[in-house]
Amino acid sequence: MKALVIVGHGSHLNEDSSLPVYEHAARIRERFGGEYDEVVECFWKEEPAMRHVLDTVEAEDVCVVPAFISEGYFTQQVIPRELGLAGPVTYKDGKAIRYAGPLGTFEGMADVILERADDLLRDKEVKPGRRALVLLGHGTDLNKSSGGVIYMNAERIKERGLYDLVEVGFLDQDPQIAEVVESVEAENVVLIPVFIAEGWHTRETIPEDLGLTGEVTRLANKTIFYGAPVGTHPSMAALIAARARETEQEIDTETQVARSTR
Amino acid sequence: MPEAPAKPSGLPDTPPNVAAASREAFAAWVDEEPQGRAFGQVLVRPVPLAGYHLCHIDDAGSVDLEIHDDPRAAREIAKLTGEGEYRPLKSSPNLRRGWALRLNGVPGLAVAMNYLYPAGIIHWYLHREGRLEITDYRENAARQSGIYKRIQRLSDEGVQDAARACCEDAVCLKKTLWNVDSGTPLEMDRGNGHIPCPEPCSIFVSFARRVRLFEREKKRDLDAAGLSPSEKEDLVALVETAASGAGKLDFAREAEFEKPLNERRLRYRRLTLIPKLHPAQAADNPNE
Repeated sequence: MKALVIVGHGSHLNEDSSLPVYEHAARIRERFGGEYDEVVECFWKEEPAMRHVLDTVEAEDVCVVPAFISEGYFTQQVIPRELGLAGPVTYKDGKAIRYAGPLGTFEGMADVILERADDLLRDKEVKPGRRALVLLGHGTDLNKSSGGVIYMNAERIKERGLYDLVEVGFLDQDPQIAEVVESVEAENVVLIPVFIAEGWHTRETIPEDLGLTGEVTRLANKTIFYGAPVGTHPSMAALIAARARETEQEIDTETQVARSTR
Repeated sequence: MPEAPAKPSGLPDTPPNVAAASREAFAAWVDEEPQGRAFGQVLVRPVPLAGYHLCHIDDAGSVDLEIHDDPRAAREIAKLTGEGEYRPLKSSPNLRRGWALRLNGVPGLAVAMNYLYPAGIIHWYLHREGRLEITDYRENAARQSGIYKRIQRLSDEGVQDAARACCEDAVCLKKTLWNVDSGTPLEMDRGNGHIPCPEPCSIFVSFARRVRLFEREKKRDLDAAGLSPSEKEDLVALVETAASGAGKLDFAREAEFEKPLNERRLRYRRLTLIPKLHPAQAADNPNE
């Protein structure tokens, strides 16, 4: 049997934090049900805890996908520790557990961001002029990967030439998002938070800091279109499934290479 | 269902599958009792030839229940209290009423139970089999990092008070099986329920962090009357709230431990502040 375990951060206070993980798990059961006998959710701050989730899984072949944007404290330290993982593949309690990388670095992420932007602009009046896409990351001065993944996606999107400008701004590192949005030279600014879930930042601090009034804020010199976080987009389910598939193939290939060079 | 993949190389002999065994054992335990079994606040009743009927224990006789056939509906049922508050801890005794789940088989029963009491039937089974691995507080604290690393410094007394405030049946229906460490048992009412608690949970870790902050503060910041700043903050908040009218009592959310009017935080104050304010009364009621 085969299982997919999706790991979310979860929250003690915000009921919406875990929602994307549950929704994507439901979509995967529905659309990719043939690939997995079980699709299971677990969390750092909610139940089932990572610590206990593997006991609830019947399958012996398990792939763990972290519903996190960037490589960092959670993906490198907390998740492996709590799940008892020893590396890309761990054998324990009769299970083979493969551990996938975070979602933000996966090449399909740029497509989901663009889909989110398209959904946002659909049925809305976009005035003539330049269009800028601004990716908003949390960022932290403590870890370069956090911001790096946002730049990586911006580069991938730039290469496609769909927007006149593609910029990056952050909450907790430079360049600060408010300055980026203010200085970007475009009449239409599409702002997409590269976050996993809705929460305090996406609902309160960001709109407040940027003076946004909703999905569309018309200022004197530009219009700002503010999207929902990319992590709640339905296409993230396919991205999670693809991430798992890629991990299985990669590890199989590595195992074969290791065997053939023995 | 796809064909099972070949067993990965290097896999040791597969031990009995805990998930499958616990599911079957739980169903058999329920089947033995036609009146149903209480598990947490859920009454699980076997329905011959139909499967299982689940509802809130206090709704056992009700006919006017919202019926669900999808076991995954249990997730929504378990999410909010009857008052619409988020439930970060599913074993809190605040499961809402008014619903019933009609499940037609053992796998659906396990899915529903795992949303109502995540990992509950697994731990119930392992405990019954004598195989549940217990992780004591000190061992759990030792692996914490980041903002939770400081719980390593919580005193034994702090762990005891935190457990009484955070884990007794009034606030969590699990039976607390872990201890401070192997030589220091928890001195508390561990609870009477069927759901074992093998390790401090993330709510407890967060609460322990807050209690550790209280402990630090005590040593440095006591006033002439022996009260700490946070104790005074809580007393002020209580007085202000009560004085603004009984109808307006507005408590903090279940896991909002940084707010004065949090139930677990006030349970902790009952253990640690009341003896300070009223030494004679505390001596009369050593268990309070």
